[in-house]
Amino acid sequence: MNLDKVVACLKEIGFKPKINDFQDRLVIQKAVYLLQRKGIGSNFEYNLHVRGPYSPELTKEIYGHKSSVEKLETSSRLNNAESRAVEEFKGLFPGLKPGILEVAATYSYFAFERHQDVMTALQNVKRMKSFYSEAQIAVGVSKAKEFLFQPSEKELAEMKEESRAWQDASLKDMRG
Amino acid sequence: MNIDFLSLIKESEALNSSVFSLIRLQLLSSIADVGKDGVACRELKAAFGVSDGALFTNLRFLEETGYVTSKEITLEGKKLQSYQITSEGLLAWGQIKEWLKKFVECGGKNNESG
Repeated sequence: MNLDKVVACLKEIGFKPKINDFQDRLVIQKAVYLLQRKGIGSNFEYNLHVRGPYSPELTKEIYGHKSSVEKLETSSRLNNAESRAVEEFKGLFPGLKPGILEVAATYSYFAFERHQDVMTALQNVKRMKSFYSEAQIAVGVSKAKEFLFQPSEKELAEMKEESRAWQDASLKDMRG
Repeated sequence: MNIDFLSLIKESEALNSSVFSLIRLQLLSSIADVGKDGVACRELKAAFGVSDGALFTNLRFLEETGYVTSKEITLEGKKLQSYQITSEGLLAWGQIKEWLKKFVECGGKNNESG
């Protein structure tokens, strides 16, 4: 576990949390989960809890080092790959909206950690996060896919094939 | 672990038997899992798929027993009710878990030898 690395990420994101605030703790939990899936080495163990993917150790650590987390004090630095991941995260999750982060993290858990098919993962998100609107769920799922989806060779070939069909059709259309 | 049936029964006398319903155990376990963080009521409702009535009755029971506390939180501008485990609740849940482990193990051993 590396809380220093978490604080370095929060600093890079520009998020100064108030640890007594439920919403800020939720943002940290979900942001760290997503960033770890992207390769940030903070190494907190996550499991599926009533609140979706959740790390009790992370909660303990942030309470245990409340002051340094709130002041964003850290001796850790992000390497190039980690900085790129955080930049991408910032671009995809502007404003760190808790609902979108919750949906994105929960979908990521089912789809990318448990390797469930798209429909099953989506059904499980809708069951666990039934209090969010269809629109919020759609946005969260789409952001999770954009952030974490890594196509296999086969999927890449299929995507190329699919886009070629679209290109051919549009060319035909242009030529009349 | 060497467990005999009579000591298991004796140990059970120290437990709060009124917590032994499926929904109460599920609630206690889930709320204990997230420790200081607490859990919003709507998350409990979604996870367990129970009616508002069943949820609030059992949460109120756990609150009156002193195992959980509730407070109002704000999330994305909405006021929500959140539940948090107390030290008493954590202790009770720890005792229940230990006892259940022994109970299951004792049952398994008796079945093997029978």
